[in-house]
Amino acid sequence: MKTTILAALAAMGLVAAMPDAGRAAEPVKVGAVEALSGPAAKYGVAIRQGFELADAAINAKGGILGGRPLQLLFEDSAGNKEQAINAVRKLIARDHVAALLGPTLSNEMFAVGPLANQRGIPIIGTSNTARGITAIGPFVFRTSLPESDVIPVTLKAAAAKFHLKRVAVLYGNDDAFTQSGYEVFRDTLGRMGIAIADTETFSKTDTDFSAQLTKIKGLGVDALVVSALAEAGGGLVLQARQLGLNLPIIGGNGFNSPKIAEIAGPAADGVISGSPWFVGKDDARSKAFVAAFRAAYGHDPDQFAAQAYDTLFILAAAFDRAGGTQGAGLRDALLKTDSTGLLGPFRFTADRDPASVEGVVVTVIKGGKFVPLN
Amino acid sequence: MFLQQLFNALVLGSVYALFALGFTLTFGVLRVINLLYGFYFAAGAFAALAAVQRLGLGLAAAGLAGAAVAGLLGVACDGLLLTRLRRTRAPELSSLIVTLGGVLLMNSLMQSLFGAGVRRFPVTPLTDRVLSLGPVSATPVQLVIVAAVPAAVAALFALLGRTRLGAAIRAVAERPETAAMMGVNVGALLALVSFVSAFLAGGAGVLIGVNFNAVQPYMGEAMMLRGFAVIVIGGLGDIRGALAAGLGLGFLEVMTAGYLSSELKDAVPFACLILALWLRPAGLFGLAAARRA
Amino acid sequence: MDSLNDFLWAYQDLIYGLGTNAILALSMYAVLQLNQLSLGQAAFMGVGAYVGALLSLHTGLPFALVLAAAAAVPAALALLIGGPSLRLSGVHLAIATIGLGEVLRVAYVNTPALGGAMGLSGIPERAGFAAIYGLLAAVLAGLVLAARSKIGRACEAIREDEDAARAMGIDVTAYKIAWLAVSAALAGLAGALNAHYSSFIGPGEYGFDTAVSILSFAILGGIATPFGPVAGAVVLTALPEVLRPLHDFRLVVNGLIIVGVVLFLPRGLLGFRMRRTGGLSGPARGATRRV
Repeated sequence: MKTTILAALAAMGLVAAMPDAGRAAEPVKVGAVEALSGPAAKYGVAIRQGFELADAAINAKGGILGGRPLQLLFEDSAGNKEQAINAVRKLIARDHVAALLGPTLSNEMFAVGPLANQRGIPIIGTSNTARGITAIGPFVFRTSLPESDVIPVTLKAAAAKFHLKRVAVLYGNDDAFTQSGYEVFRDTLGRMGIAIADTETFSKTDTDFSAQLTKIKGLGVDALVVSALAEAGGGLVLQARQLGLNLPIIGGNGFNSPKIAEIAGPAADGVISGSPWFVGKDDARSKAFVAAFRAAYGHDPDQFAAQAYDTLFILAAAFDRAGGTQGAGLRDALLKTDSTGLLGPFRFTADRDPASVEGVVVTVIKGGKFVPLN
Repeated sequence: MFLQQLFNALVLGSVYALFALGFTLTFGVLRVINLLYGFYFAAGAFAALAAVQRLGLGLAAAGLAGAAVAGLLGVACDGLLLTRLRRTRAPELSSLIVTLGGVLLMNSLMQSLFGAGVRRFPVTPLTDRVLSLGPVSATPVQLVIVAAVPAAVAALFALLGRTRLGAAIRAVAERPETAAMMGVNVGALLALVSFVSAFLAGGAGVLIGVNFNAVQPYMGEAMMLRGFAVIVIGGLGDIRGALAAGLGLGFLEVMTAGYLSSELKDAVPFACLILALWLRPAGLFGLAAARRA
Repeated sequence: MDSLNDFLWAYQDLIYGLGTNAILALSMYAVLQLNQLSLGQAAFMGVGAYVGALLSLHTGLPFALVLAAAAAVPAALALLIGGPSLRLSGVHLAIATIGLGEVLRVAYVNTPALGGAMGLSGIPERAGFAAIYGLLAAVLAGLVLAARSKIGRACEAIREDEDAARAMGIDVTAYKIAWLAVSAALAGLAGALNAHYSSFIGPGEYGFDTAVSILSFAILGGIATPFGPVAGAVVLTALPEVLRPLHDFRLVVNGLIIVGVVLFLPRGLLGFRMRRTGGLSGPARGATRRV
């Protein structure tokens, strides 16, 4: 895999010459705990690919700390709290990693964040969007924009275009991700003065939404606002259209997935969501990344790969600024991050969350494809 | 709007009844809570999906093929797992546990074969066209499901009640030793029952998979939880009871979500289950008790 | 010395997990020994975890009292749910306890005080090596003593032939209800211990998969003596960590074990029996022994 990535990068002109400097130097070990198997594997695998691509690029340019290669140690959590804990404990105490990346799910971070914090090892979540992640402790960072940052941008764009006054809200109430998305929707709608005519819930494994949707149909609202994972979301969108609810459907991060159009087919047109990055993003950096990613893996990257890719560069730069691998020094250096990546300009807030929402793109599905909403 | 909700309730109730028919049949004859039933359900849907995508079959032909594949899987799995236990006259709990292990094994294998993601059948008029029947919106497949339930029930009653084969099956269910002495080939009959039950499961998997556009390895597990409630409330082994309990649960769930609160929707079947265990443990029509005696 | 500390820190959760899973396996043993199947062990574990976590987060109760409450609440719940279903066949108890798990999941998700779907985080780390293994030893000793006493003889009689046991004057229903309560209490205890070393609990952790894992511990080890389930828990907890590639196939392995053991090794890995029994066991019985 490494060689194909390097070949891809070389082909893109990202790599000037193959390095040989790092070979003698001791590598800097960084642990990455991701859900590489199980139901969340589609996120975890995309994230690993983003990391691997960035790692190859960083080492091809001579590594970090004056020539030491950055070595990634992957551990599979299977999206399971217990396995994530075992993996993090092993990476810290047996492999002596200097920093940790991941884990994939917010629930896993709630379980392992305290461990990294206890040992003073910085841990950076690249895909955790739930509330309260960085409140775990001073060594817990995230580069993923929480839903509380993305959703207001999405709602503002949709409200301006469709003159929303009254909406109905549906959300999955048995999942941390979709519940926290719902809370942000509710609060943001309240601040914007948009009335919520009705709130309905469903659960992760539900396949029948007809009762809730029929009830909403009788209320005459301007749009549906949905916080769901892509799989339930696709079925929900399709059933809404079948019941004649031809309204704009505004989703959270879960809707920013090709799965929606795959399941709902033509019914997915008009689904609006916001995302920190999307594959059609029109700038040179993103285009080069998409081309390199395609060459290495044979398919398009998603936002999770892009976030992972940016994060490894942010971490590498922090190592160089810290001048060593000490946890406390690295944490201080991370806080001074000021860079520009695929997702746009990046800095951390004092609370170790991303500081800027400049990079957020609001998209709508048209003919099965995500295009910018305007 | 009320008419639409009533139709929603009829569809969901038919879905539950359709799922539960074969499940309760297995128990009625084999005296086993066959947890593999959820696997046959998913396997039918996956086999039909493969027949559509790989072989280019039409939906109806693919559905029958999927149900038949599920039926054969049923004969194979039940034969491997349950025959031995039957021979040694192990109690029902051993059979329940062995099917528990079996379903864990088969579902995990299916997930490693097909991945955990949700798939759907290709978009066709049958799946995605919307018919307006007065104030009610319906898809063709919903109408097929609503019609399939009485058809399946009638077929089962005709098979069990009107034919010599049915008489033999009933004899095996009530008194296997006597039936064997009377010259009934018990092994072949049990295999036939496994086939019919798993065929019903697979057919239900295809229809429900097409209707909800959600084919995935664990689709049977999600239905099993409802299935337990339906067959216990209806009375274990009671086909009429399963029909009534399925329709009733669908009605209660839709009306709860439509007029009370969707948060309570998931609790409905299990609250009913626990109530039924307290108040009518032998099932709606009290048949289970009569059979057990 | 430092590397030994690192070693222990690295495998702390595994070491603690071995102990709590052994207690869970014993909770399964408590019902299986009467030929009853509860698929609610994960649900009882969850009740214990939530009760324990809430008490630790919101009150200053000493840990021993927290654990006592975490055992008592699921036991009371077991009486409520087990009462009606135990009068019926074993199958009814299995289904009722599956239903219980689902009702509780809905309750956790819809109750803001229980953290809803977000679960409870920041649970203080109060369970250590001494608490977990001390309690495991006490539970194991108690069950061994019970198995060797008059109680054990009555349990075995019920397991082998319920009607005969009843004819011998054993109050079968009382035994079933009492052991179901003990079983729920043990599961609740294990759940509370687990919550107090993993800092976070959520509503999705106590579902059907967990219930089946607990069952596979007991089935693998066999229930002839309380040592069987403990051995089963140790093997099934440690194996995926020792052979990390097995992780992906954890559920496949659990499934294979259940099928294989029920069909071919009906006594489990540790199939020997307590000394006392004598008359009831014989080769013919062995083949038909109930799980």
